[in-house]
Order: sequence, then C-alpha cells, then structure tokens
Amino acid sequence: MAAIDWLSDALLLAGGAFFLAGTVGVVRFPDVYCRLHALAKVDNLGLGLVVLGLALRADSVTAVVKLSLIWLLALFASATVSYLIARRALRRGITPWSAERPAPPERAP
Amino acid sequence: MTIARSPSLRSSRLWLMRAPLFAALWWVLAEGETRAWGVGAATVLAATAASVWLWPPSRAHLSPVGLLAFLAFFALQSLRGGFTVALLALRPRLRLRPGLRVLPLRLPPGAGRVLLADTLSLLPGTVSAGLCDDELHLHVLDQALVDDADLRAAEDRVARLFGLELAHA
Repeated sequence: MAAIDWLSDALLLAGGAFFLAGTVGVVRFPDVYCRLHALAKVDNLGLGLVVLGLALRADSVTAVVKLSLIWLLALFASATVSYLIARRALRRGITPWSAERPAPPERAP
Repeated sequence: MTIARSPSLRSSRLWLMRAPLFAALWWVLAEGETRAWGVGAATVLAATAASVWLWPPSRAHLSPVGLLAFLAFFALQSLRGGFTVALLALRPRLRLRPGLRVLPLRLPPGAGRVLLADTLSLLPGTVSAGLCDDELHLHVLDQALVDDADLRAAEDRVARLFGLELAHA
C-alpha cells in the first residue's frame, strides 16, 4: 500500500514538473509556433502523469476509466486546437522565428 | 431481396457493435451507479443513433495488435521527447533552432492522415501546421531533434493501426 502511495506521489510531482516546464516554455519561447510546442507537451505528458498518479489512488475501476477518458479528450482537444492555430498562423503569413534571422528591433534608438 | 436487406442489416450490425460501447461509457460516467439506468438507456440509444448517423461504417478498421504497438510507440516517444523539450524550456540560455518541414505523405487520404497530424502535434518537438495535397506541413522546435526516420516511424504505426498500405514515396 505504501509503495503505491510513493509511486503515485512521484508521478504527481513529475506531472507537476512538466506543467511548470511547459508554462516556462510558453513565457520564454520566441513565437506562436514554439509556444504551441510547450502547450501540447503539457497536455500530453503533464496531464498524463497526473492522471496516472491519481489512477493509482482511485477507489474504483470506473474512476480509473473516467480519468483516462478525461486525458484522451484533453489530448484530442489539444491536438486539434494547436493544429488550427498553427495552420491559421502559417496562412496569415506569420514567419516562424529563426535563430539565423533574429527579429529586427521594434524601435529605432 | 438480399440487396434491399443489406443496408439495414449493416446498420443493425453497427447498432449491435456500438450500443454496448456507449452502455459501457454510461456505466463509467455513472461510476457503477445502477439507479439511473432509465436515463442511461435513453442516453445510450440516442448516442448510438447519433453515431450511426454521423459516422457511417468505413472500410478502415482498427487492428488490436496495431493499437497496442501504436500506444507503446506514443508513450515512449512522448517520454523521450518530453524531457528534451522540458530541458529546452528550462535552460538558462534559450537555444532553439526552430523551422518548418514538409513531409510527403505515404498514407492514403482520410482518418489515417488526421491521426498522424494529431499524433505529431502531441509528440514533443513537432506541431502539425497544415495538411494539403499530399503533404503535411510541420513546425519543429529544434531541427536537430527531429529526423525523418522518427516521422516515418509514426506514419508506419498509424498505417498498421488502420491496416492501411503505404504508398511508395
């Protein structure tokens, strides 16, 4: 019993760490495309590990299945939304940020 | 006679296959509670009717072995790439080499392509940015992290999941 609790704690903490890293990514990454990367990874791994950690503490099989369904629906929503945002950005001609061509300064000194 | 009967026969087979799935879903949502089965039965019938109407049978069908292989691939790739992307975000000096990449698709049009685009969006390092003609446009977070072999491997797993043939490209 205690071993399962430890494992559950570890998974919840790892999930939280991915949420933190993803949030830092959203703040620090240079353009809309890179930020989408950070978001999709949080939904997949962060929520996935949290759901796994909670499933180990669930009272019933139905609760475990319900948690997995929540994760699956979040994945579908996340994949669809990031696809739509990235496609719209490309079609509007938003050039992806690139290390070789840094964005020009916004104001002249 | 047989020709007239076959569409309704197909639709009753669909009902028989899908109604138990929706019943199982109701059981999960109600967390095993049995008192609300009246509402449950009505909901299951309505959900099955909507699904038969909106999602008629298609030729593509899922292979159970392919599904397991796909899930294992997805889990492994997610973990592997997740750590790299998390480290990229947390490194004191941000060093990214993002870019666009075009993948000529070998999958036939349909559900397989959509699933591949969704899978690559969720896997760390790639985000799908458009499906047009026979190409998938991708944005990659770091050019060095993603090679064509990984993308082809994902396409391969999707093809095996649906039992589809890949075109030679």
